[in-house]
Amino acid sequence: MMSYIHVRNLEKQFTVRQKRAKGTMLREKKIVQALREVSFDVEQGELLGYIGPNGAGKSTTVKILSGILTPDGGEVTVGGRVPWKERKAHVRRIGVVFGQRTQLWWDVPIQDSYDLLRDVYRIGETDYRTRLKELAEALQLETLLRTPLRQLSLGQRMRAELCGSLLHRPELLFLDEPTIGLDAVSKLALRDFLQWENREQGTTILLTTHDMEDIVALCPRVMVLGHGRKLFDGALQDLLGRYDTLRTVEVRYEETGALPDLPSVVPVQREGETLHISYAPAEFATAELIARLQQAGTIRELTVQPQNIDRLVAAMYREMDL
Amino acid sequence: MDVIKLYLHAMRMQIKSQTQYPLSFLMQTAAQLVMEGGEMLAVILLVDRFERMNRWEAGDLYFFFGLMAVTFYLTECFARGITGNFPYLIRTGQLDTFLARPRGILTQVICSAADPRRITCIAVGVVSLVIGCRMSAVQWTAGKALLMAEAILCGSCLIQGLFMIEAIFCIHSVKSVELVNALTYGGRSACEYPIDAFPRPLRILFTVVAPFALTLQLPGSVILGKPLYDWPAWTVYITPLSGVAVFGLIWLWFQGAMRFYRSTGS
Repeated sequence: MMSYIHVRNLEKQFTVRQKRAKGTMLREKKIVQALREVSFDVEQGELLGYIGPNGAGKSTTVKILSGILTPDGGEVTVGGRVPWKERKAHVRRIGVVFGQRTQLWWDVPIQDSYDLLRDVYRIGETDYRTRLKELAEALQLETLLRTPLRQLSLGQRMRAELCGSLLHRPELLFLDEPTIGLDAVSKLALRDFLQWENREQGTTILLTTHDMEDIVALCPRVMVLGHGRKLFDGALQDLLGRYDTLRTVEVRYEETGALPDLPSVVPVQREGETLHISYAPAEFATAELIARLQQAGTIRELTVQPQNIDRLVAAMYREMDL
Repeated sequence: MDVIKLYLHAMRMQIKSQTQYPLSFLMQTAAQLVMEGGEMLAVILLVDRFERMNRWEAGDLYFFFGLMAVTFYLTECFARGITGNFPYLIRTGQLDTFLARPRGILTQVICSAADPRRITCIAVGVVSLVIGCRMSAVQWTAGKALLMAEAILCGSCLIQGLFMIEAIFCIHSVKSVELVNALTYGGRSACEYPIDAFPRPLRILFTVVAPFALTLQLPGSVILGKPLYDWPAWTVYITPLSGVAVFGLIWLWFQGAMRFYRSTGS
Protein backbone atom coordinates (compact mmCIF):
# COMPACT_ATOMS: atom_id res chain seq x y z
CA MET A 1 0.00 0.00 0.00
CA MET A 2 1.54 3.25 -1.12
CA SER A 3 1.39 6.21 1.25
CA TYR A 4 -0.79 9.24 0.53
CA ILE A 5 2.11 11.49 -0.45
CA HIS A 6 4.88 9.41 -1.91
CA VAL A 7 8.13 11.13 -2.89
CA ARG A 8 11.22 9.28 -4.10
CA ASN A 9 14.57 10.76 -5.17
CA LEU A 10 13.06 14.06 -6.15
CA GLU A 11 15.43 16.24 -8.18
CA LYS A 12 15.02 19.77 -9.44
CA GLN A 13 17.52 22.19 -10.85
CA PHE A 14 17.26 25.72 -12.11
CA THR A 15 19.42 27.44 -14.65
CA VAL A 16 20.30 30.94 -13.61
CA ARG A 17 21.68 33.29 -16.20
CA GLN A 18 24.11 35.84 -14.93
CA LYS A 19 25.84 38.65 -16.71
CA ARG A 20 29.51 37.81 -16.84
CA ALA A 21 30.70 41.38 -16.49
CA LYS A 22 29.33 44.86 -16.75
CA GLY A 23 28.66 45.97 -20.27
CA THR A 24 29.11 42.61 -21.95
CA MET A 25 26.27 40.83 -23.63
CA LEU A 26 27.67 37.43 -22.74
CA ARG A 27 25.85 35.57 -20.05
CA GLU A 28 27.04 32.80 -17.90
CA LYS A 29 24.81 29.87 -17.18
CA LYS A 30 24.84 28.62 -13.65
CA ILE A 31 22.97 25.53 -12.56
CA VAL A 32 21.46 25.63 -9.10
CA GLN A 33 20.48 22.30 -7.64
CA ALA A 34 17.25 23.10 -5.78
CA LEU A 35 16.44 19.54 -4.68
CA ARG A 36 18.67 16.47 -4.45
CA GLU A 37 17.37 12.97 -3.86
CA VAL A 38 14.59 14.04 -1.54
CA SER A 39 12.38 11.15 -0.43
CA PHE A 40 9.58 11.06 2.10
CA ASP A 41 6.11 9.71 2.80
CA VAL A 42 3.12 11.38 4.36
CA GLU A 43 -0.03 9.59 5.51
CA GLN A 44 -3.50 11.05 5.28
CA GLY A 45 -4.43 13.21 8.27
CA GLU A 46 -0.86 14.15 9.21
CA LEU A 47 0.18 17.67 10.14
CA LEU A 48 3.72 18.03 8.94
CA GLY A 49 6.08 20.92 9.53
CA TYR A 50 8.62 21.66 6.84
CA ILE A 51 11.53 23.85 7.91
CA GLY A 52 14.87 24.99 6.62
CA PRO A 53 16.70 28.24 5.96
CA ASN A 54 15.76 30.50 3.05
CA GLY A 55 16.58 28.93 -0.28
CA ALA A 56 16.67 25.39 1.09
CA GLY A 57 14.13 24.13 -1.45
CA LYS A 58 10.97 24.16 0.65
CA SER A 59 8.90 26.19 -1.79
CA THR A 60 10.20 24.17 -4.71
CA THR A 61 8.99 20.97 -3.05
CA VAL A 62 5.57 22.50 -2.37
CA LYS A 63 5.33 23.74 -5.94
CA ILE A 64 6.11 20.29 -7.31
CA LEU A 65 3.64 18.63 -4.94
CA SER A 66 0.94 21.10 -5.97
CA GLY A 67 1.47 20.53 -9.68
CA ILE A 68 2.96 23.95 -10.46
CA LEU A 69 6.46 22.80 -11.35
CA THR A 70 7.70 19.74 -13.18
CA PRO A 71 10.66 18.05 -11.48
CA ASP A 72 13.79 16.92 -13.33
CA GLY A 73 13.82 13.49 -11.76
CA GLY A 74 12.26 11.21 -9.19
CA GLU A 75 8.80 9.94 -8.45
CA VAL A 76 5.93 11.80 -6.85
CA THR A 77 2.36 10.68 -6.29
CA VAL A 78 -0.28 12.34 -4.18
CA GLY A 79 -3.35 10.20 -3.57
CA GLY A 80 -2.17 7.98 -6.42
CA ARG A 81 -1.86 10.86 -8.92
CA VAL A 82 1.22 12.43 -10.44
CA PRO A 83 0.63 16.14 -9.76
CA TRP A 84 2.11 17.70 -12.91
CA LYS A 85 0.69 15.05 -15.23
CA GLU A 86 -2.89 15.17 -13.98
CA ARG A 87 -2.87 18.77 -12.85
CA LYS A 88 -6.59 19.54 -12.96
CA ALA A 89 -7.71 16.32 -11.25
CA HIS A 90 -4.97 16.77 -8.68
CA VAL A 91 -5.52 20.41 -7.74
CA ARG A 92 -9.25 19.88 -7.27
CA ARG A 93 -8.36 17.99 -4.11
CA ILE A 94 -5.72 20.31 -2.73
CA GLY A 95 -5.69 23.81 -1.29
CA VAL A 96 -2.71 26.13 -1.42
CA VAL A 97 -2.11 29.29 0.58
CA PHE A 98 0.84 31.23 -0.76
CA GLY A 99 2.30 33.44 1.94
CA GLN A 100 3.18 36.31 -0.33
CA ARG A 101 0.49 36.30 -2.98
CA THR A 102 -3.24 36.46 -2.74
CA GLN A 103 -5.78 34.44 -4.64
CA LEU A 104 -8.64 36.76 -3.71
CA TRP A 105 -9.65 39.93 -5.54
CA TRP A 106 -8.41 43.18 -4.08
CA ASP A 107 -11.29 45.57 -4.61
CA VAL A 108 -14.40 43.47 -4.11
CA PRO A 109 -15.98 42.05 -0.93
CA ILE A 110 -14.37 38.72 -0.02
CA GLN A 111 -17.74 36.96 -0.34
CA ASP A 112 -17.72 37.87 -4.07
CA SER A 113 -14.30 36.24 -4.43
CA TYR A 114 -15.64 33.12 -2.73
CA ASP A 115 -18.65 33.06 -5.05
CA LEU A 116 -16.30 33.05 -8.02
CA LEU A 117 -14.16 30.31 -6.47
CA ARG A 118 -17.36 28.28 -6.06
CA ASP A 119 -17.75 28.40 -9.86
CA VAL A 120 -14.04 27.76 -10.46
CA TYR A 121 -14.15 24.59 -8.35
CA ARG A 122 -17.69 23.69 -9.43
CA ILE A 123 -18.93 23.42 -5.85
CA GLY A 124 -22.66 22.67 -5.46
CA GLU A 125 -24.71 25.54 -4.06
CA THR A 126 -25.90 23.82 -0.85
CA ASP A 127 -22.50 22.36 -0.10
CA TYR A 128 -20.93 25.76 -0.71
CA ARG A 129 -23.31 27.47 1.71
CA THR A 130 -22.74 24.98 4.53
CA ARG A 131 -19.01 25.00 4.07
CA LEU A 132 -18.75 28.80 3.88
CA LYS A 133 -20.87 29.16 7.01
CA GLU A 134 -18.75 26.63 8.85
CA LEU A 135 -15.45 28.21 7.79
CA ALA A 136 -16.61 31.79 8.39
CA GLU A 137 -17.59 30.79 11.90
CA ALA A 138 -14.36 28.96 12.64
CA LEU A 139 -12.24 31.77 11.20
CA GLN A 140 -14.38 34.57 12.63
CA LEU A 141 -15.10 36.05 9.24
CA GLU A 142 -18.90 36.37 9.48
CA THR A 143 -18.89 40.14 9.91
CA LEU A 144 -16.21 40.66 7.26
CA LEU A 145 -17.78 38.86 4.31
CA ARG A 146 -19.06 42.11 2.77
CA THR A 147 -15.76 43.95 3.26
CA PRO A 148 -13.35 44.36 0.32
CA LEU A 149 -10.03 42.59 0.77
CA ARG A 150 -8.08 45.85 0.64
CA GLN A 151 -9.74 47.04 3.86
CA LEU A 152 -8.79 43.98 5.90
CA SER A 153 -5.89 43.84 8.33
CA LEU A 154 -3.06 41.39 7.70
CA GLY A 155 -4.46 38.88 10.17
CA GLN A 156 -7.95 39.12 8.72
CA ARG A 157 -6.54 38.75 5.25
CA MET A 158 -4.72 35.53 6.11
CA ARG A 159 -7.94 34.15 7.58
CA ALA A 160 -9.80 35.17 4.44
CA GLU A 161 -7.17 33.44 2.27
CA LEU A 162 -7.45 30.27 4.33
CA CYS A 163 -11.21 30.28 3.96
CA GLY A 164 -10.85 30.68 0.18
CA SER A 165 -8.44 27.78 -0.10
CA LEU A 166 -10.63 25.43 1.95
CA LEU A 167 -14.04 26.04 0.35
CA HIS A 168 -13.76 23.01 -1.90
CA ARG A 169 -12.90 20.74 1.07
CA PRO A 170 -9.39 19.78 -0.05
CA GLU A 171 -7.86 16.58 1.35
CA LEU A 172 -4.47 18.24 1.44
CA LEU A 173 -3.57 21.79 2.36
CA PHE A 174 -0.24 23.50 1.67
CA LEU A 175 0.55 26.50 3.81
CA ASP A 176 3.49 28.74 3.10
CA GLU A 177 4.36 30.76 6.19
CA PRO A 178 0.78 31.39 7.28
CA THR A 179 1.65 33.31 10.46
CA ILE A 180 4.20 35.68 8.96
CA GLY A 181 3.65 39.22 10.21
CA LEU A 182 0.68 38.34 12.42
CA ASP A 183 0.22 39.60 15.98
CA ALA A 184 0.13 37.18 18.91
CA VAL A 185 -3.66 36.93 19.10
CA SER A 186 -4.05 36.30 15.39
CA LYS A 187 -1.29 33.69 15.45
CA LEU A 188 -2.92 31.77 18.29
CA ALA A 189 -6.34 31.92 16.61
CA LEU A 190 -4.85 30.69 13.34
CA ARG A 191 -3.08 27.79 15.02
CA ASP A 192 -6.30 26.79 16.79
CA PHE A 193 -8.06 26.83 13.48
CA LEU A 194 -5.45 24.69 11.72
CA GLN A 195 -5.65 22.15 14.51
CA TRP A 196 -9.43 22.11 14.21
CA GLU A 197 -9.31 21.69 10.44
CA ASN A 198 -6.78 18.88 10.77
CA ARG A 199 -8.66 17.03 13.50
CA GLU A 200 -12.31 17.60 12.58
CA GLN A 201 -12.03 17.51 8.80
CA GLY A 202 -9.12 15.10 8.58
CA THR A 203 -7.27 17.46 6.25
CA THR A 204 -3.62 16.61 5.73
CA ILE A 205 -1.59 19.78 6.26
CA LEU A 206 1.92 20.55 5.10
CA LEU A 207 3.21 23.70 6.71
CA THR A 208 6.36 25.57 5.77
CA THR A 209 7.41 28.19 8.25
CA HIS A 210 10.27 30.00 9.90
CA ASP A 211 8.25 30.48 13.05
CA MET A 212 9.37 27.68 15.35
CA GLU A 213 6.48 28.37 17.69
CA ASP A 214 4.16 27.24 14.88
CA ILE A 215 6.00 23.97 14.69
CA VAL A 216 6.01 23.43 18.45
CA ALA A 217 2.31 24.19 18.69
CA LEU A 218 1.14 22.26 15.65
CA CYS A 219 3.44 19.68 14.18
CA PRO A 220 4.18 16.30 15.77
CA ARG A 221 6.43 15.59 12.82
CA VAL A 222 9.08 17.86 11.30
CA MET A 223 11.14 17.67 8.19
CA VAL A 224 14.30 19.73 7.81
CA LEU A 225 15.65 20.67 4.42
CA GLY A 226 18.97 22.32 3.66
CA HIS A 227 20.78 22.91 0.37
CA GLY A 228 18.12 20.83 -1.33
CA ARG A 229 18.70 17.74 0.82
CA LYS A 230 16.52 16.23 3.48
CA LEU A 231 18.46 16.44 6.73
CA PHE A 232 15.97 15.29 9.30
CA ASP A 233 12.56 13.66 9.32
CA GLY A 234 10.91 12.66 12.55
CA ALA A 235 9.33 13.75 15.79
CA LEU A 236 9.99 17.29 16.92
CA GLN A 237 11.15 16.03 20.33
CA ASP A 238 13.87 13.91 18.72
CA LEU A 239 15.06 16.87 16.72
CA LEU A 240 15.20 19.02 19.85
CA GLY A 241 16.93 16.23 21.78
CA ARG A 242 19.57 15.93 19.13
CA TYR A 243 20.42 19.58 19.09
CA ASP A 244 19.57 20.41 22.62
CA THR A 245 21.60 23.21 24.10
CA LEU A 246 22.17 23.81 27.76
CA ARG A 247 19.22 24.87 29.87
CA THR A 248 19.37 27.19 32.81
CA VAL A 249 17.58 26.90 36.14
CA GLU A 250 17.55 29.72 38.66
CA VAL A 251 17.01 28.89 42.35
CA ARG A 252 16.71 30.95 45.54
CA TYR A 253 16.71 29.26 48.93
CA GLU A 254 15.20 30.44 52.20
CA GLU A 255 18.49 29.61 53.88
CA THR A 256 21.43 31.78 52.82
CA GLY A 257 24.42 29.81 51.68
CA ALA A 258 22.52 26.64 50.81
CA LEU A 259 24.36 24.81 48.04
CA PRO A 260 23.04 21.71 46.27
CA ASP A 261 25.37 18.76 45.80
CA LEU A 262 25.91 18.53 42.05
CA PRO A 263 28.49 16.82 39.85
CA SER A 264 30.98 18.87 37.83
CA VAL A 265 29.03 18.49 34.57
CA VAL A 266 26.43 20.79 36.13
CA PRO A 267 28.17 24.09 36.89
CA VAL A 268 26.68 26.43 39.48
CA GLN A 269 27.16 30.18 39.56
CA ARG A 270 26.17 32.34 42.47
CA GLU A 271 24.83 35.85 41.94
CA GLY A 272 23.71 37.41 45.20
CA GLU A 273 21.20 34.98 46.64
CA THR A 274 20.34 33.44 43.27
CA LEU A 275 22.02 30.32 41.95
CA HIS A 276 22.32 29.90 38.19
CA ILE A 277 22.57 26.25 37.26
CA SER A 278 23.11 25.10 33.67
CA TYR A 279 22.74 21.51 32.61
CA ALA A 280 22.14 19.36 29.55
CA PRO A 281 19.18 17.02 30.04
CA ALA A 282 20.98 14.33 28.08
CA GLU A 283 23.86 14.30 30.58
CA PHE A 284 21.98 14.92 33.76
CA ALA A 285 18.29 14.05 34.13
CA THR A 286 15.93 16.86 35.01
CA ALA A 287 14.19 14.75 37.71
CA GLU A 288 17.52 14.04 39.39
CA LEU A 289 18.45 17.73 39.33
CA ILE A 290 15.17 18.78 40.95
CA ALA A 291 15.56 16.10 43.63
CA ARG A 292 19.06 17.30 44.50
CA LEU A 293 17.94 20.92 44.59
CA GLN A 294 15.24 20.02 47.10
CA GLN A 295 17.66 18.17 49.33
CA ALA A 296 19.81 21.28 49.73
CA GLY A 297 17.19 23.38 51.50
CA THR A 298 13.77 25.06 51.29
CA ILE A 299 13.28 26.49 47.82
CA ARG A 300 11.81 29.98 47.87
CA GLU A 301 11.81 30.53 44.13
CA LEU A 302 12.60 28.36 41.13
CA THR A 303 12.51 29.36 37.48
CA VAL A 304 13.39 27.27 34.49
CA GLN A 305 14.44 29.32 31.49
CA PRO A 306 12.39 28.15 28.53
CA GLN A 307 14.35 26.70 25.67
CA ASN A 308 14.93 29.29 23.04
CA ILE A 309 13.86 27.31 20.05
CA ASP A 310 15.05 29.84 17.48
CA ARG A 311 18.53 29.70 18.94
CA LEU A 312 18.30 25.96 18.93
CA VAL A 313 17.40 25.84 15.26
CA ALA A 314 20.16 28.30 14.47
CA ALA A 315 22.60 25.97 16.27
CA MET A 316 21.23 23.08 14.27
CA TYR A 317 21.61 24.88 10.95
CA ARG A 318 25.15 25.79 11.92
CA GLU A 319 25.99 22.22 12.78
CA MET A 320 24.48 20.96 9.55
CA ASP A 321 26.57 23.60 7.81
CA LEU A 322 23.68 25.46 6.17
CA MET B 1 -21.36 26.11 -21.14
CA ASP B 2 -19.76 25.92 -17.75
CA VAL B 3 -16.77 27.90 -18.98
CA ILE B 4 -19.01 30.63 -20.41
CA LYS B 5 -20.84 30.88 -17.10
CA LEU B 6 -17.52 31.22 -15.30
CA TYR B 7 -16.36 33.85 -17.78
CA LEU B 8 -19.54 35.91 -17.39
CA HIS B 9 -19.26 35.70 -13.61
CA ALA B 10 -15.62 36.82 -13.76
CA MET B 11 -16.53 39.72 -16.08
CA ARG B 12 -19.26 40.91 -13.69
CA MET B 13 -16.69 40.94 -10.95
CA GLN B 14 -14.12 42.77 -13.08
CA ILE B 15 -16.60 45.52 -13.84
CA LYS B 16 -17.62 45.73 -10.20
CA SER B 17 -14.00 45.89 -9.15
CA GLN B 18 -13.07 48.60 -11.65
CA THR B 19 -16.04 50.81 -10.91
CA GLN B 20 -15.01 50.95 -7.25
CA TYR B 21 -13.30 54.20 -8.16
CA PRO B 22 -15.97 55.76 -10.41
CA LEU B 23 -14.28 59.11 -11.10
CA SER B 24 -11.01 57.48 -12.10
CA PHE B 25 -12.93 55.02 -14.28
CA LEU B 26 -14.84 57.79 -16.09
CA MET B 27 -11.73 59.88 -16.65
CA GLN B 28 -9.79 56.96 -18.06
CA THR B 29 -12.69 56.05 -20.32
CA ALA B 30 -12.75 59.62 -21.59
CA ALA B 31 -8.98 59.53 -22.12
CA GLN B 32 -9.43 56.47 -24.34
CA LEU B 33 -11.81 58.51 -26.49
CA VAL B 34 -9.14 61.16 -27.04
CA MET B 35 -6.57 58.47 -27.90
CA GLU B 36 -8.64 56.55 -30.44
CA GLY B 37 -10.26 59.77 -31.70
CA GLY B 38 -6.74 60.95 -32.54
CA GLU B 39 -6.09 57.82 -34.59
CA MET B 40 -9.29 58.42 -36.53
CA LEU B 41 -8.33 62.05 -37.05
CA ALA B 42 -5.34 60.80 -39.05
CA VAL B 43 -7.76 59.10 -41.47
CA ILE B 44 -9.95 62.22 -41.62
CA LEU B 45 -6.93 64.40 -42.46
CA LEU B 46 -5.72 61.91 -45.06
CA VAL B 47 -9.09 61.84 -46.77
CA ASP B 48 -9.39 65.62 -46.54
CA ARG B 49 -6.03 66.12 -48.25
CA PHE B 50 -6.00 63.32 -50.86
CA GLU B 51 -9.63 62.16 -51.17
CA ARG B 52 -8.44 58.72 -52.20
CA MET B 53 -5.58 56.29 -51.76
CA ASN B 54 -4.88 54.09 -54.76
CA ARG B 55 -8.25 52.61 -55.63
CA TRP B 56 -9.72 53.19 -52.18
CA GLU B 57 -12.10 56.07 -51.68
CA ALA B 58 -12.81 57.99 -48.47
CA GLY B 59 -15.65 55.67 -47.39
CA ASP B 60 -13.47 52.57 -47.92
CA LEU B 61 -10.72 54.05 -45.75
CA TYR B 62 -13.17 54.79 -42.94
CA PHE B 63 -14.47 51.24 -43.27
CA PHE B 64 -11.04 49.59 -42.97
CA PHE B 65 -10.13 51.81 -40.03
CA GLY B 66 -13.41 51.01 -38.27
CA LEU B 67 -13.09 47.27 -38.87
CA MET B 68 -9.64 47.15 -37.28
CA ALA B 69 -10.60 49.44 -34.38
CA VAL B 70 -13.70 47.41 -33.52
CA THR B 71 -11.83 44.10 -33.71
CA PHE B 72 -8.79 45.26 -31.77
CA TYR B 73 -10.66 47.00 -28.96
CA LEU B 74 -13.32 44.32 -28.58
CA THR B 75 -10.38 42.00 -27.97
CA GLU B 76 -8.81 44.41 -25.50
CA CYS B 77 -12.15 44.83 -23.74
CA PHE B 78 -13.07 41.16 -23.35
CA ALA B 79 -9.72 39.36 -23.52
CA ARG B 80 -7.66 41.90 -21.60
CA GLY B 81 -6.26 39.01 -19.59
CA ILE B 82 -4.31 37.92 -22.65
CA THR B 83 -3.52 41.29 -24.20
CA GLY B 84 -2.64 42.91 -20.88
CA ASN B 85 -1.12 41.26 -17.83
CA PHE B 86 -0.18 37.84 -19.15
CA PRO B 87 3.62 38.43 -19.23
CA TYR B 88 3.41 40.07 -15.81
CA LEU B 89 1.59 37.04 -14.39
CA ILE B 90 4.48 34.87 -15.51
CA ARG B 91 7.29 37.19 -14.42
CA THR B 92 5.88 37.63 -10.92
CA GLY B 93 4.87 34.00 -10.47
CA GLN B 94 1.24 35.01 -9.99
CA LEU B 95 0.44 32.28 -12.52
CA ASP B 96 1.06 29.82 -9.66
CA THR B 97 -2.35 30.59 -8.18
CA PHE B 98 -3.94 29.74 -11.55
CA LEU B 99 -1.98 26.51 -11.85
CA ALA B 100 -3.20 25.49 -8.41
CA ARG B 101 -6.83 25.59 -9.55
CA PRO B 102 -8.69 22.94 -11.55
CA ARG B 103 -9.23 25.02 -14.68
CA GLY B 104 -7.38 25.60 -17.92
CA ILE B 105 -4.68 28.25 -17.83
CA LEU B 106 -6.10 30.09 -20.82
CA THR B 107 -9.58 30.15 -19.27
CA GLN B 108 -8.25 31.62 -16.07
CA VAL B 109 -6.01 34.15 -17.79
CA ILE B 110 -8.93 35.41 -19.89
CA CYS B 111 -11.13 35.53 -16.80
CA SER B 112 -8.49 37.44 -14.87
CA ALA B 113 -9.02 40.81 -16.53
CA ALA B 114 -11.38 42.93 -18.56
CA ASP B 115 -11.06 46.48 -19.79
CA PRO B 116 -14.51 48.09 -20.03
CA ARG B 117 -12.85 51.49 -20.55
CA ARG B 118 -12.24 50.43 -24.15
CA ILE B 119 -15.92 50.94 -24.82
CA THR B 120 -15.14 54.44 -26.14
CA CYS B 121 -12.54 53.08 -28.57
CA ILE B 122 -15.06 50.53 -29.81
CA ALA B 123 -17.59 53.35 -30.23
CA VAL B 124 -15.14 55.33 -32.37
CA GLY B 125 -14.63 52.22 -34.51
CA VAL B 126 -18.37 51.70 -34.90
CA VAL B 127 -18.89 55.34 -35.91
CA SER B 128 -16.12 55.01 -38.49
CA LEU B 129 -17.65 51.77 -39.82
CA VAL B 130 -21.09 53.38 -40.16
CA ILE B 131 -19.66 56.44 -41.93
CA GLY B 132 -17.69 54.13 -44.23
CA CYS B 133 -20.73 52.02 -45.13
CA ARG B 134 -22.79 55.12 -45.85
CA MET B 135 -20.15 56.83 -48.01
CA SER B 136 -19.27 53.66 -49.94
CA ALA B 137 -22.98 52.71 -50.20
CA VAL B 138 -22.43 49.13 -49.01
CA GLN B 139 -25.24 46.77 -50.04
CA TRP B 140 -25.73 44.57 -46.98
CA THR B 141 -26.75 40.93 -47.38
CA ALA B 142 -26.98 38.13 -44.82
CA GLY B 143 -23.79 36.67 -46.29
CA LYS B 144 -21.88 39.92 -45.85
CA ALA B 145 -23.08 40.34 -42.27
CA LEU B 146 -21.96 36.79 -41.51
CA LEU B 147 -18.62 37.43 -43.17
CA MET B 148 -18.11 40.56 -41.08
CA ALA B 149 -18.84 38.67 -37.85
CA GLU B 150 -16.44 35.91 -38.90
CA ALA B 151 -13.73 38.44 -39.74
CA ILE B 152 -14.02 40.18 -36.36
CA LEU B 153 -13.99 36.90 -34.45
CA CYS B 154 -11.02 35.46 -36.35
CA GLY B 155 -9.20 38.78 -36.21
CA SER B 156 -9.65 38.75 -32.46
CA CYS B 157 -8.15 35.25 -32.26
CA LEU B 158 -5.17 36.44 -34.28
CA ILE B 159 -4.60 39.41 -31.98
CA GLN B 160 -4.81 37.22 -28.85
CA GLY B 161 -2.36 34.76 -30.37
CA LEU B 162 0.16 37.49 -31.17
CA PHE B 163 -0.05 38.90 -27.65
CA MET B 164 0.66 35.45 -26.27
CA ILE B 165 4.12 35.43 -27.88
CA GLU B 166 5.36 37.89 -25.26
CA ALA B 167 4.09 35.61 -22.49
CA ILE B 168 6.00 32.71 -24.05
CA PHE B 169 9.20 34.74 -24.19
CA CYS B 170 8.67 35.61 -20.53
CA ILE B 171 8.72 31.92 -19.61
CA HIS B 172 12.19 31.72 -21.14
CA SER B 173 13.01 34.99 -19.35
CA VAL B 174 13.59 36.88 -22.57
CA LYS B 175 12.57 40.51 -22.66
CA SER B 176 11.03 41.12 -26.01
CA VAL B 177 8.37 43.77 -25.65
CA GLU B 178 9.44 45.80 -28.70
CA LEU B 179 9.63 42.81 -31.01
CA VAL B 180 6.17 41.59 -30.10
CA ASN B 181 4.67 45.07 -30.03
CA ALA B 182 5.76 45.50 -33.66
CA LEU B 183 3.35 42.70 -34.53
CA THR B 184 0.50 43.59 -32.17
CA TYR B 185 0.23 47.37 -31.91
CA GLY B 186 2.25 47.75 -35.12
CA GLY B 187 -0.13 45.41 -36.90
CA ARG B 188 -3.10 47.35 -35.64
CA SER B 189 -1.74 50.74 -36.71
CA ALA B 190 -0.58 49.52 -40.11
CA CYS B 191 -3.63 47.47 -40.99
CA GLU B 192 -6.01 50.30 -40.25
CA TYR B 193 -5.09 51.10 -43.85
CA PRO B 194 -5.54 48.78 -46.83
CA ILE B 195 -2.66 46.35 -47.20
CA ASP B 196 -1.85 47.27 -50.83
CA ALA B 197 -0.68 50.68 -49.64
CA PHE B 198 2.44 49.04 -48.20
CA PRO B 199 5.69 47.82 -49.75
CA ARG B 200 6.14 44.11 -50.38
CA PRO B 201 7.98 43.07 -47.16
CA LEU B 202 5.24 44.57 -44.99
CA ARG B 203 2.56 42.97 -47.18
CA ILE B 204 4.21 39.59 -46.65
CA LEU B 205 4.53 40.24 -42.91
CA PHE B 206 0.85 41.02 -42.53
CA THR B 207 -0.31 38.24 -44.85
CA VAL B 208 1.88 35.32 -43.85
CA VAL B 209 3.26 35.99 -40.37
CA ALA B 210 0.49 38.05 -38.79
CA PRO B 211 -2.28 37.56 -41.36
CA PHE B 212 -4.37 40.67 -40.73
CA ALA B 213 -4.79 40.92 -44.50
CA LEU B 214 -6.45 37.50 -44.64
CA THR B 215 -8.57 37.77 -41.48
CA LEU B 216 -9.81 41.35 -41.74
CA GLN B 217 -8.93 43.11 -44.96
CA LEU B 218 -9.89 40.53 -47.58
CA PRO B 219 -13.37 40.10 -46.04
CA GLY B 220 -13.56 43.91 -45.69
CA SER B 221 -12.72 44.45 -49.34
CA VAL B 222 -15.34 41.88 -50.39
CA ILE B 223 -17.99 43.61 -48.27
CA LEU B 224 -17.03 46.89 -49.99
CA GLY B 225 -17.41 45.11 -53.35
CA LYS B 226 -13.74 45.66 -54.31
CA PRO B 227 -11.97 42.35 -53.58
CA LEU B 228 -8.24 42.66 -52.81
CA TYR B 229 -7.31 39.55 -54.81
CA ASP B 230 -8.87 37.80 -57.80
CA TRP B 231 -9.48 34.63 -55.84
CA PRO B 232 -12.66 32.54 -56.15
CA ALA B 233 -15.53 34.06 -54.18
CA TRP B 234 -15.79 31.23 -51.62
CA THR B 235 -12.19 31.63 -50.45
CA VAL B 236 -13.11 34.75 -48.54
CA TYR B 237 -14.96 32.61 -46.01
CA ILE B 238 -11.89 30.42 -45.53
CA THR B 239 -9.02 32.89 -45.27
CA PRO B 240 -10.10 34.47 -41.93
CA LEU B 241 -9.59 31.05 -40.34
CA SER B 242 -5.86 31.72 -40.68
CA GLY B 243 -6.27 33.89 -37.56
CA VAL B 244 -7.62 30.91 -35.64
CA ALA B 245 -4.78 28.77 -36.99
CA VAL B 246 -2.16 31.27 -35.81
CA PHE B 247 -3.83 31.32 -32.39
CA GLY B 248 -3.81 27.53 -32.25
CA LEU B 249 -0.15 27.24 -33.20
CA ILE B 250 0.94 29.84 -30.68
CA TRP B 251 -1.20 28.15 -28.03
CA LEU B 252 0.57 24.85 -28.67
CA TRP B 253 3.88 26.67 -28.48
CA PHE B 254 2.80 28.17 -25.15
CA GLN B 255 1.87 24.77 -23.73
CA GLY B 256 5.24 23.39 -24.76
CA ALA B 257 6.97 26.35 -23.13
CA MET B 258 5.07 25.83 -19.87
CA ARG B 259 7.27 22.81 -19.15
CA PHE B 260 10.03 25.35 -18.62
CA TYR B 261 7.93 27.52 -16.35
CA ARG B 262 9.87 27.98 -13.15
CA SER B 263 7.76 30.30 -11.06
CA THR B 264 9.40 32.83 -8.76
CA GLY B 265 9.60 33.68 -5.09
CA SER B 266 8.49 31.64 -2.15
